Amino acid sequence: MRWKQFLTPAKSFNAEQARGYISDRSSDDVTILDVRQPGEYEDGHIPGAKLIPLPDLADRLDEIDPDKPAVVY
Amino acid sequence: MLSGKGFDNVYNLSGGFKGWQGEAAFKSEETGLELFTGDESPEKTLAVAYSLEDGLRDFYLSMALQVKNDTVKDIFTKLAEIEISHKDRVFDEYVKVVGKRADREKFEKKMVKKVAEGGLTTQEYIELFQPADWESETDIIGLAMSIEAQALDLYMRAAERSGNPDSKKVLTQIANEERTHLSELGKLMERII
Repeated sequence: MRWKQFLTPAKSFNAEQARGYISDRSSDDVTILDVRQPGEYEDGHIPGAKLIPLPDLADRLDEIDPDKPAVVY
Repeated sequence: MLSGKGFDNVYNLSGGFKGWQGEAAFKSEETGLELFTGDESPEKTLAVAYSLEDGLRDFYLSMALQVKNDTVKDIFTKLAEIEISHKDRVFDEYVKVVGKRADREKFEKKMVKKVAEGGLTTQEYIELFQPADWESETDIIGLAMSIEAQALDLYMRAAERSGNPDSKKVLTQIANEERTHLSELGKLMERII
């Protein structure tokens, strides 16, 4: 089971696909996750993005709903 | 990291934020959240949202008086009128929440002052976005789009923080409407360019 996290392929969206995917859904039906540092988030982020810097992500997974799709950058 | 930890629908944005090429929001996660502590009732939530729409309308009206270009003046006036329709939508939601006892005059007395949509003051918006030319139609619509993006961001952050399920629902609905407003401004921009 531990191997799963290494073997599950992550899918990718280009900007146009991401915009379409987000705009086709209610704002509470998709998580937009910003894993950059707080200073980068402050300088500009996708509206509604939740900030969890990558170094903190493993400890804060409970803040994200696993049943919702997530667009991550 | 998320894939394989129970997150089955994870999409990486190619090129990261630099590749986004869309509307952006600015400042910290806490910006504007002094307006939405998370404990508000749906009634209070709607009163704050109404105040934000009203603050932005005042800003557009004041700018319409200051600019010289008649076309830009008309755009500011049109933007102010759009905010009236947004206020009407917020009040309609208030009526749904409180029922027949809804009174617009009493509702307006609950408004919060000195803020515009998105939770920043108009001066803060001017400093943040600094339109290159206040007499340019595209610069002004670009400013309006930036404000709507900031508003969408605030409502989504407030919805996530809200501890009241009914208020969360109201905030989510307003956020979805802000997204529609943003899209409409984008279409207006396309017609002008």
